Amino acid sequence: MNKIFSNLFKKDWFGLLIVVIFGALIISVLKPAFVSSFNLYVLMSSISLMLIVAMSQMIIIAIGQMNLSVGAIGGLVAISFAGLMEVYDMPIFIAASIGIVIGVSAGFFNGYITAKTGISAFIITLATLYVFKGINLGITEAQPFYKIPDAIRVFGNGKIIGPIPYLIIIPLIVTFVMWILMTKTIIGRYMLAYGNSIQSSELMGISSTQIVITAHVISGLLAGIAGMLVVCRLSLGTPNIGDAWLLPSFAAPVIGGAILAGGKVDVLATALAVVIVAIISQSLVIFKVDPFFVQIFLGFMILFAVLINRYREYQEENKKKIFVHE
Amino acid sequence: MNSEYCLEINNSNKTFPGVKALDNANFKLKKGSIHALVGENGAGKSTLIKILTGVYKPDSGEIIINDEKINLNSPNDAILKGISVVHQERNLIGRFSVGENLMLNNLPKNSLNLIDYNEVFKQSKKWLDILDLDISPETIVSDLTVAKMQLCEIAKALSMESKILLLDEPTSSISPQDANNLFKLLKKIVSKEGVSVVFVSHKLEEVFQICDYVTVLRDGKNACESEKIETLDRKQLVKLMIGREEQVVKSKKLFENNNNKILELENINTYLGHKSINLSLYKGEILGLYGLVGAGRTELAKSIVGIEKIISGNLKLNSKSIKIHSAKEALEKYKIGYISEDRKKEGLILMHNVLDNTGITVWSQLKRFFNFLNDSTIGKKVTPYIQKLEVKTPSNYQLVSNLSGGNQQKISVAKWLAAGTDILFIDEPTVGIDVKTKGYLHELIIDLSKSGTSIVLISSDMPEMISLADRIIVMKNFIIKGEKNNDHNYQSMSSSIMEFIHD
Repeated sequence: MNKIFSNLFKKDWFGLLIVVIFGALIISVLKPAFVSSFNLYVLMSSISLMLIVAMSQMIIIAIGQMNLSVGAIGGLVAISFAGLMEVYDMPIFIAASIGIVIGVSAGFFNGYITAKTGISAFIITLATLYVFKGINLGITEAQPFYKIPDAIRVFGNGKIIGPIPYLIIIPLIVTFVMWILMTKTIIGRYMLAYGNSIQSSELMGISSTQIVITAHVISGLLAGIAGMLVVCRLSLGTPNIGDAWLLPSFAAPVIGGAILAGGKVDVLATALAVVIVAIISQSLVIFKVDPFFVQIFLGFMILFAVLINRYREYQEENKKKIFVHE
Repeated sequence: MNSEYCLEINNSNKTFPGVKALDNANFKLKKGSIHALVGENGAGKSTLIKILTGVYKPDSGEIIINDEKINLNSPNDAILKGISVVHQERNLIGRFSVGENLMLNNLPKNSLNLIDYNEVFKQSKKWLDILDLDISPETIVSDLTVAKMQLCEIAKALSMESKILLLDEPTSSISPQDANNLFKLLKKIVSKEGVSVVFVSHKLEEVFQICDYVTVLRDGKNACESEKIETLDRKQLVKLMIGREEQVVKSKKLFENNNNKILELENINTYLGHKSINLSLYKGEILGLYGLVGAGRTELAKSIVGIEKIISGNLKLNSKSIKIHSAKEALEKYKIGYISEDRKKEGLILMHNVLDNTGITVWSQLKRFFNFLNDSTIGKKVTPYIQKLEVKTPSNYQLVSNLSGGNQQKISVAKWLAAGTDILFIDEPTVGIDVKTKGYLHELIIDLSKSGTSIVLISSDMPEMISLADRIIVMKNFIIKGEKNNDHNYQSMSSSIMEFIHD
């Protein structure tokens, strides 16, 4: 039993789970409004969207890169999805499929250029951020699309049972699939191996090009899905969807123990980190704290998480040093 | 046809700009044998290894594996042809388990097409068992010792059904005991698993201990080819490797020991693991620090100049105890400089021009009003040194990355000349540069010492060490093994140095 616990404590997600449980308990005792049906619904809706955004960034962190264009891809897919339905009266299913194709293509574009040129993904996605955002503004001329089918409205705002929104279905599936991908599939393990050490993975015969492109394609796909879910939630497609995703997209994986240098991400911990960030934002509202403080708080949490990660790495390095000289 | 060789490399040539790395080199590996590949630094060993592993393509020559002429275009090609390499540095995925690393190229899957970890651990256990390795396949690799990681890499090679195993300096970072384990294991896989081994090492006693055949490379040519080890003794082998006992250059001035100690280390222990280091450096002396890769020489230099930490002990400059907290302080306050062995990473800022690189050490001396620097002041200060070293550059504004390796090295030296240090640590000054520049740098180092600068020379190049140093200190495993005044006699010096290393 002790061993089980000590093993659990080593897992990134376990500490976060405890934070979630105790945090939620304390807040609900202090402010019973926290567990009101409406509040839980709002909480879960915001978790739903950020889960996918976080996963979209997480998979790029896994290979040791960054995707600055996550929000821009999300925005482009969102307005395409809404625009196709409003302007061309397309059925939801077809509009959504085209949206997915756009997200995947944008990701492929990022991945292909990164893999083929060897230029840092940071730079490439900084450039494509403007490209995707520019296309977005060119199409919309900065005007939202309002004419959204009722089915979308219901899906984005309805509840399955109690306070649980329909919106959460897809993010839960995505999270589960991502967990399978990163822990149980060969391509997922190769991504982590690549993130761990490019040289070692290449010497083992893993194709860098394939890994980088696949990761970016998945990232683009997820960013696109997130964009379309926001359209469902807002019941409109505005050009500024995705603009504020960048910071939170990094926050959750990092709080979840991911190492930005690559090779280590934890899907469960990332998901729990999304929940923590959402609970904090939400409870600061309930406690009527100035919204500006939410950002300060988030900033310090990231800092704290990075320090913990750094401390662990430092310990690992020290352990190795001793071995070398023994 | 079934020849006795499982691998042949015939008449292979490879030229790099300025260097003929391989000159009609041959190598024949007999089935079921352990074959040593030896030679000095720069003799062409690494080029041959890289050709064998598909990293380089030879300009001409053929590679034959099991009577079949083949081309190797990538590391993956080599793996598919049954050639596995265990490199000098470890190449496993640190955060993955041992089992997953072993099976990574061929991960077993279940009916849902997902990785079957039970099977991963079961299959990898089989290979660990063959090698009698007492390692659980579920262990995370980064928790293992370096020696165990190395054994895991060998297990991985076996798991990929490799019949040719190439070990590059396998004992450079493991203890003698671990090395013995490794040798036992190698003999075992050769006799039981039908593997043939190419063993690359600087350590000749190891070569004599376990190898059946030896091929010596010198300046890219075969000094001997697939010779039976019994036909050679140690002296002959050394002669084959060096080929020129008289190579020791015109001896430098005899150093008069003036008993003028400039730098003293008393019982220094460092954070990186040096134990009780005692040494003195005299004024105008060239002190050689010799040792194998990983002996802790670079680390000692870095600890002294404040890049790494000294935990305890006494560091004295001109008989006064001092503490150096940073390389900046070493340079500006105590006039101690360090020329890095890794010039690309640490010695130079490749994207900056010659002037900036050379001037960087003197910026703080030259800065004027409000810390503004001006190019002409810096130019005046550094140009003499750039000219003195005959750096071939169209102008001081050329980017350093556009210069040749030798010229880059000159600039990393020039910037320290400009800095006018009293003590200079020079780390592997001539690795990877041509013979002519090497000569320049040697003369420069001697001139520097004549002008009164005390120099600590770190080098793994024995002839260089014996021609330059006044006194040689031998390090191994982060301690000092011995010290000898240099009489510039290659034969006697090299053998006493080797004794220090291998006692």
